[in-house]
Amino acid sequence: MPTVLGIVLIAFLLIHLAPGDPVMALAGEHGDAAYYEFMRERFGLNRSLPDQMLTYFARVASGDLGMSYVHGRSTASLIMERAPATLLLTGSALLLAVIVSIPLGAFAARRPHGSWDVSISGAVLTLYSAPAFWLGQLAILAIALKLGWLPVQGMTTAGDTQSGIMRALDVARHLILPAMVLASQELAVLVRLTRSGLIDELARDHIRTARAKGVTDAAILIRHAMPRALLPAVTVIGARVGQLIAGAVVIEIVFGWPGIGRLLLTSLQNRDTPLLLALFLVVSFTVVVANLLTDLVHAALDPRITLR
Amino acid sequence: MVLDSASLPSAPASGRIAGAIGLVLIGVIIIAALFAPWLASADPFDLAGPALAGPSPNHIMGTDAIGRDLFSGVLYGTRTSLLIAITVGALASAFGVTIGMIAGYYGGFADDFLMRMTELFQVLPRFFLAAVAIALLGPGVDRVIVVLALTSWPVLARVVRAEILALKQLDFVLASEALGATKFHLFKNVFLPHVLPAVLVLVGLLMGQVLLTEASLGFIGLGDPNAMTWGTLAGQAQGFFRVAWWLALFPGLAISATVLGLNLIADALSSRVQNPAGISATE
Amino acid sequence: MRRRWCLLFSGAAWLASPGCAREAKPARPFVAAVTTDPGHLNTAITTNGSVHTAGGLLYDGLVELNDELEPVPALAERWEVDSAGTRYRFHLRRDVRWHDGQPLHAADVKFTFEQLLLRFHSRTRASLAPVLDRIETPDDFTVEFIFRRPYAALLQQLNVEEAPIMPQHLFQTGDPLRNPANTAPVGTGPYRFVSYSAGSEIRFIANKEYFRGQPAIREVVLRIVPNPTVQVLALEAGEVDWLFGVPGPDRARLRQDKRFTVVQTPGYSGGSNCISTVGFNLDKPLFRDIRVRRAIAHSVDRDQVLARVLFGEGRVADAPISSGIAFAHAAGLAMPAFDTARAASLLDNAGWRRMGKAFRTARGVDGVPDGTALTIRFTAMPGQAAYGDLLRAQLRAVGIDLRVTALEPAVFSQSVFTARDFDTAIISYCNGTDPEIGVRRQYVSASIGPVPFSNTAGYRNQEMDALFDSAASALDAGVRTSLYRRIQEIAVRDQPYIWLVETLNTRAFSARCTGFGISPHFAATAHCGN
Repeated sequence: MPTVLGIVLIAFLLIHLAPGDPVMALAGEHGDAAYYEFMRERFGLNRSLPDQMLTYFARVASGDLGMSYVHGRSTASLIMERAPATLLLTGSALLLAVIVSIPLGAFAARRPHGSWDVSISGAVLTLYSAPAFWLGQLAILAIALKLGWLPVQGMTTAGDTQSGIMRALDVARHLILPAMVLASQELAVLVRLTRSGLIDELARDHIRTARAKGVTDAAILIRHAMPRALLPAVTVIGARVGQLIAGAVVIEIVFGWPGIGRLLLTSLQNRDTPLLLALFLVVSFTVVVANLLTDLVHAALDPRITLR
Repeated sequence: MVLDSASLPSAPASGRIAGAIGLVLIGVIIIAALFAPWLASADPFDLAGPALAGPSPNHIMGTDAIGRDLFSGVLYGTRTSLLIAITVGALASAFGVTIGMIAGYYGGFADDFLMRMTELFQVLPRFFLAAVAIALLGPGVDRVIVVLALTSWPVLARVVRAEILALKQLDFVLASEALGATKFHLFKNVFLPHVLPAVLVLVGLLMGQVLLTEASLGFIGLGDPNAMTWGTLAGQAQGFFRVAWWLALFPGLAISATVLGLNLIADALSSRVQNPAGISATE
Repeated sequence: MRRRWCLLFSGAAWLASPGCAREAKPARPFVAAVTTDPGHLNTAITTNGSVHTAGGLLYDGLVELNDELEPVPALAERWEVDSAGTRYRFHLRRDVRWHDGQPLHAADVKFTFEQLLLRFHSRTRASLAPVLDRIETPDDFTVEFIFRRPYAALLQQLNVEEAPIMPQHLFQTGDPLRNPANTAPVGTGPYRFVSYSAGSEIRFIANKEYFRGQPAIREVVLRIVPNPTVQVLALEAGEVDWLFGVPGPDRARLRQDKRFTVVQTPGYSGGSNCISTVGFNLDKPLFRDIRVRRAIAHSVDRDQVLARVLFGEGRVADAPISSGIAFAHAAGLAMPAFDTARAASLLDNAGWRRMGKAFRTARGVDGVPDGTALTIRFTAMPGQAAYGDLLRAQLRAVGIDLRVTALEPAVFSQSVFTARDFDTAIISYCNGTDPEIGVRRQYVSASIGPVPFSNTAGYRNQEMDALFDSAASALDAGVRTSLYRRIQEIAVRDQPYIWLVETLNTRAFSARCTGFGISPHFAATAHCGN
């Protein structure tokens, strides 16, 4: 919690001390000076900075994240509206990355430094090295436009009024490309963790014993080695949350996905200070919680570690 | 505690070839950066030919919308982009190593305080912060460097601290302390050489991330129009995806090749280093 | 090719692209792409372009502008102006109902102006508030605007973009900026609101009771697609039918494609007839020297700007007032031509010499130490940084070092208009349909100040101020024309700005649809085949 407060304090100062005036963005063209004065007063922007800061933190403490200048609604409700889309995108990407990375990692670990290992490691690293927006646009061009398999943009078919299972399927169809591109950025880390974890694990005594007893390779992999080897992979996920959200900003713009990454960008352009601060608060809070959860999960899974 | 992001843990030691590939890639990039003025066919900001001309003997990577030579842009972009990555790497390791060593060696209150700071900076959403800073203060290479360095050092500090914690219990350290070696001597001649390999690996990975972040900032329109960087070039290519493929392709390739090269080298390095503390996934 | 894949995927039917399933679906909605989520749909409380694009279908103004941008009846079926030009009387249609069934009354008009437009609509507030005395409603269907002095441009400022009429019964209480009707709007327009999914799309359905008759396109969806390149891809993939803008390089490509229609418009009302203009900061000693301003103007190859920044869509400006305002646009003015030799000699005379270096340095310039390099900042919003890239390259040829500073709109406005911390800045001055709307602010000394897109240069000239005042209250068209000609001659002589190019807006849409208008009601008059 102090961490989150520290972050919001940094954000508050950065936003308020930087040049630029939210009212200028709000009013647009052809306003007059009296109009700006009037709007500044409405939003309390004519008060001193410490005064504004105290009011802001008092309100946050009471659970009120403020009203957006541009939308005229509470920032909390705006974020809640958009959060599910981002959760769906990042969640599916993560899940996809984990699901794909396990067999890839296992394949690579079977014969370390063999040709499978080298090709898999090389491929995932190459994916990681390409900028995400570049991959995304390439995917749109090739898979959505040229082949026509999947939609180019959005989360649902425009104007679609279906509900229930048909709607879920429609969303799924729109989700595939963005989730794949976002997942490709996570693959490198996960494949390598799985792989190295498995190599270490397969070299252990109890595995050798099992092997000597004639247990098949597949059974050893699935029953004995996998659970322990996945530990680092599972726990690294928590630390990736910040990166994942950053990746989502870019992917949401490329694919027109209606999540909070885009909300951030527009509130930045509009200089919608309350919304910007609320987003900062929510994102950093998520990162802190994810880190905490990771530590807990890690401690629970690994008896060697005790929490301080 | 888990390491940040792309601290990709140890590589296959078929890594020797991979490492060599990495060295070649980075070597080419460094040569391009050093000799940009001699290699470039034109000043990257000058009108060098017709607008939106495809690759040809005159302009081997084609020209952009206003007629500037893309090859020259990519070459000079290499300079700026590498400069950004190296500066961030240097700043982050200076902060990270110093803070990590102090926290690890002295422990107690200093350790608590510094680790709290580290936590704070580690969870700062890097990309958001960079975007906010640029949108509010205007684009510029300097603020990209500051924000990325500010959010990158915690990883290094944690790794260095862990190394020092293990190291300071060892006999030869205790011995040199007993023999009255100065703190400065200890830090410089004992601790630093020990943590250096791990730090180098992490910095290599970090520089790759910096390049990708800079490119993403360019993509969302926050690149600096006065500085030829790969991110700026990639951002400018946006509107021309269908009519001038070369504008997106070459800067994209330059970024990918460099990030790949840095990662390959870091991997090769990490498999040489005997079980460096930072390179396992967990502390 | 595509067909075959459709068959292949028929097992997993849900995966099949809409391209495969389309034939089966009846009456697909008409989908228009927009770049920004507007946030709300109340066009009376903001001039934000994304709100106006999204909310335009829902409302009406007292008058409408036809394709020639002349006022024609809308909510007002006729009007009279008294001979002094200070009293306008509008007679409202009696058959107009709000989307919730209530009838429209004169009180709605008075309320909208007094409580919404004159407070929150910055453009209408800035132009009408200083001259409007009061609004009266003699009966339920008559509205009168009474001015303090003759006001010629009113009819150009009452359309749906400048003055949309809102329902009093919903806005009477509470804070209008937080009214629930802002996101669940009720208007009188050709389409009524159906739903709004944040960040994704806004749906509208044809208004059966619309006073001009029900529109042919039954359903309109505004789809939020932030990336302009992806908008084009979505159009090509058949996911959207209409784009409000097309990135330059894609225009020619779409035009070749038989599936699409590409048209150009000079824009509509306040956002029409725009000229991309470079303003010199006349507070800076460097730019007080007319020779420096002239030299820079002569260094700019505007034909190349048209070709390489606008991709040929638009025209080189041949006068300070847009050719779209025919009565005010002056022909045959001596605009500075592209002439680097002339630019070089002007700079030499002004003391900026080329001493064997890439960039000129000062030699005996008043108040400037000798040897100072001729470095000029060029401040632009990100969308206009391309002008900077080209001008930087052009000015290098005469030894001027131009540095481009790209700033987000809010920061741009503050740096240029409040702090006045800039050397040169590029602005798209939309002239509108009358010089009173969009030209006056650029030149009169009263509009120097912390107001975005006002008098960027900080240009002061009493003769100019007087000429604008006379032109505003002159009711005779011929007199206005000659006054505006004089204004433009002075502007060209003093060169506080470089008028680069007149820009056009591009619309691209599916060729199965025809009959779109240029107003925010664009889809109301259109038809779509299959």
